[in-house]
Amino acid sequence: MKDTFSSYHPAVNFLFFVGAVGCGVVFLHPAYLAVSILCGLSYYLFLGKTKSAKAFLLMLPVVLILAAVNPLFNTQGSTVLFWLFGKPYTLEALLYGGAVSGVLLTMLLWFGCYNYVLTGDKFTSLFGNWIPSVSLLLVMVLRMVPNLIQKTKQIAGARKSLGKGNEGKLKEGLAVVGALVSWALEGGVVTADSMRARGYGTAKRQSFLIYRMERRDWWLLAVEIILITAVIVSACLGQVNAEYTPEVSLAPVSWGAVFYGIYLLIPLALNGKEAILWHILRFKI
Amino acid sequence: MAHIKIQNLIFSYPTSMDKKALDDVCISIEQGEYVVLCGKSGSGKTTLLRQLKTVLAPHGKKSGEIFFSGVPLEQVSQLEQSAKIGYVMQNPDDQIVTDKVWHELAFGLESLGCDQKVMRARVAEMACYFGIADWFHKDVSTLSGGQKQLLNLASIMAMQPEVLILDEPTSQLDPIAASDFLNTVRKINTELGTTVIITEHRLEDIFPYADRAIIMDGGKVIANDSPRSIGRLLYLENNDMFTAMPTPVQVFYGTKSSGDCPLTVREGRRWLSRSFPEAPAINQIPCAPASDKQQDIALSLKELWFRYEKDSPDILRCVNAEVPKGSLYAIVGSNGVGKSTTLKAICGICRPYRGKVKIFGKAIEKYKPSELFGGCLAMLPQDPKSLFVKKTVREDLEEMTREESRIAEVAAICEIEHLLNSHPYDLSGGEQQRCALAKVLLTDPKLLLLDEPTKGIDSFFKEKLSKILCKLKDRGVTVVMVSHDVEFCAKYADLVSMFFDGQILTTDTPRRFFGGNSFYTTAACRMSKHLFRKAVTAEDVIGLYLQNKEVQE
Repeated sequence: MKDTFSSYHPAVNFLFFVGAVGCGVVFLHPAYLAVSILCGLSYYLFLGKTKSAKAFLLMLPVVLILAAVNPLFNTQGSTVLFWLFGKPYTLEALLYGGAVSGVLLTMLLWFGCYNYVLTGDKFTSLFGNWIPSVSLLLVMVLRMVPNLIQKTKQIAGARKSLGKGNEGKLKEGLAVVGALVSWALEGGVVTADSMRARGYGTAKRQSFLIYRMERRDWWLLAVEIILITAVIVSACLGQVNAEYTPEVSLAPVSWGAVFYGIYLLIPLALNGKEAILWHILRFKI
Repeated sequence: MAHIKIQNLIFSYPTSMDKKALDDVCISIEQGEYVVLCGKSGSGKTTLLRQLKTVLAPHGKKSGEIFFSGVPLEQVSQLEQSAKIGYVMQNPDDQIVTDKVWHELAFGLESLGCDQKVMRARVAEMACYFGIADWFHKDVSTLSGGQKQLLNLASIMAMQPEVLILDEPTSQLDPIAASDFLNTVRKINTELGTTVIITEHRLEDIFPYADRAIIMDGGKVIANDSPRSIGRLLYLENNDMFTAMPTPVQVFYGTKSSGDCPLTVREGRRWLSRSFPEAPAINQIPCAPASDKQQDIALSLKELWFRYEKDSPDILRCVNAEVPKGSLYAIVGSNGVGKSTTLKAICGICRPYRGKVKIFGKAIEKYKPSELFGGCLAMLPQDPKSLFVKKTVREDLEEMTREESRIAEVAAICEIEHLLNSHPYDLSGGEQQRCALAKVLLTDPKLLLLDEPTKGIDSFFKEKLSKILCKLKDRGVTVVMVSHDVEFCAKYADLVSMFFDGQILTTDTPRRFFGGNSFYTTAACRMSKHLFRKAVTAEDVIGLYLQNKEVQE
């Protein structure tokens, strides 16, 4: 299914992820963590379907192990559950480990979404106007990677059809890499010629902007800014304070968490709105 | 005033100062002319073209002048040169800089610092003109070779150049994509009046439309005339380049005719009709009857089925074939029908999920890898570069065997003795092809698989390749070749198979195969079909023509 949020201007997308990931790193409060994980997971599943589900199932054990391992190194905390290797294994440390791995999980989820939404070309077009040379470099790297993979396959296949590649993996690998490097260098010379032939470096470089800010982009940008400001204000007021060791003390859940939830639901809400809109449009016909 | 004027240009590379790469070249090209530059590999075509754009000009000793619209080229600013002189190179892949089609289209304009409005308009205009709109948002890596080269052209045309220089732009493309590309170039020339200077091997598609042909040899311009007159000159001089001429030209001069030379198949047909107002007495070359003699089978494919992934469509759908020992077997067909995949299945790179591959009567699974590739089977891939892993050709050959005598022998067969100490990447396409072939031959294969061996090499090297293949055949090697090159297959193959829709449809001798087709056949056949039956090469037509003339007299 098409993702509506992705169709917005890359700047709007980018700001959203800055907010989501930035807050995700800082907030250790369980309520905020839960909100972020829930929203992140549902959007991630929405974007990638079964592929996302598989990836999530891979993340889960890592995160759980991380939480369980924390008390082994961190022995602070007042409630001792049991003793291990002569060290106390405390409840508080376990909870703290859980919170930290929760942060890791939010990171993984939101970066997973980021990969679907902000594709390489969107990212580079975002910075194309500020730093054209860096952005061009990024674009060229993006182009080189699939190219090299394809050439590696080609070389390996060619060598196999000569009966090479059975003696020693390392030696064979080196031969392929060597061939790949000279091939890439040769290609690089042509690419450089092609760039100079098209005037690279003769004038101040401009970027072709394929994305334009529409009215809806400005609106969404405003909404994002308002919500994120509210969240930051609530954080400054101490609503996200959470202490785990030596004793657990959490700030009571308040309006900040609500704003946080609304903010993180923006992509899904936009998709929902779009679905309803199309349903109505079809109904009218 | 001439658009481009080259005066007494002499150039030599720093590595070989005594040998002139360009020797006293004088050319004048008018606004809107379509000029085709021909010559063997290494005759200085690319060196000359690169002189026409200062940023691309190689280092070396240079004397003489180049004028662009009356101004010496050095005095034309880089910015103006970038915009006004467009240059398309050979390799479609390496020329592309960015990862998206739209970005590539805009690349030149971005470099020139155009503002958004101009860029938008020009990019949109070009996308429409070149029919790119459908794949405007695509990743470059998903495009076919033909699309990539078209994109390179469009990206240069977006800068609205006055001169378009193309250096063998279609050598890496299949015939259909190539003729598409050349038609677009012609459209640009006739509709926009852009001056075009092009070098090409595939002269059949260009010659009829070019205003002028310039022939180069050893850095010198040896002929500079209209295409119609150039054939005569080459024929009289007995020049190697004559074999590169379109078939009608070869037939016309081969029969020692005089008058206006035909350039296209249509003109050739008319000329033949005029030569024979009544149906010719001898209209067929005696065909050897199909031999019933039981031949040994070198390779047999039985009902091969293959697909890359479980859910992807089948690429091979019941491929059946039998290749007799010691023959040159050619598989022809359009792009992406599974020809190369068949070769990969034969040598075990792809494993068919159903069916059997038997090599010399033994199933392929029963061979040990060392046995199979050590003296039984070898494949020359499409891109010879994928075989080179060392710094010199000699080292590359030594990777296969340590015996000096074997290397010397193979080098002699492939005629590469003088290239052994060069870096493989410094060689021309034809030379690379032969070095790669030498490397493959060192495994001493009895069955040799060739994937598009004539791609990107000129007619002169094709002759050489055909001689090498004949030598191999004499030594009892069986050759299976996949090719787009109809003319080459018609001339040299023993059996030709048509590959379509994942299977081999028909197999026959070239004469019967191409003689029976009316579209997928050689220019000689299309040209003479109404008079002669099954004349598929220029030599066939010339022979029949002369025989009939003798009868008439």
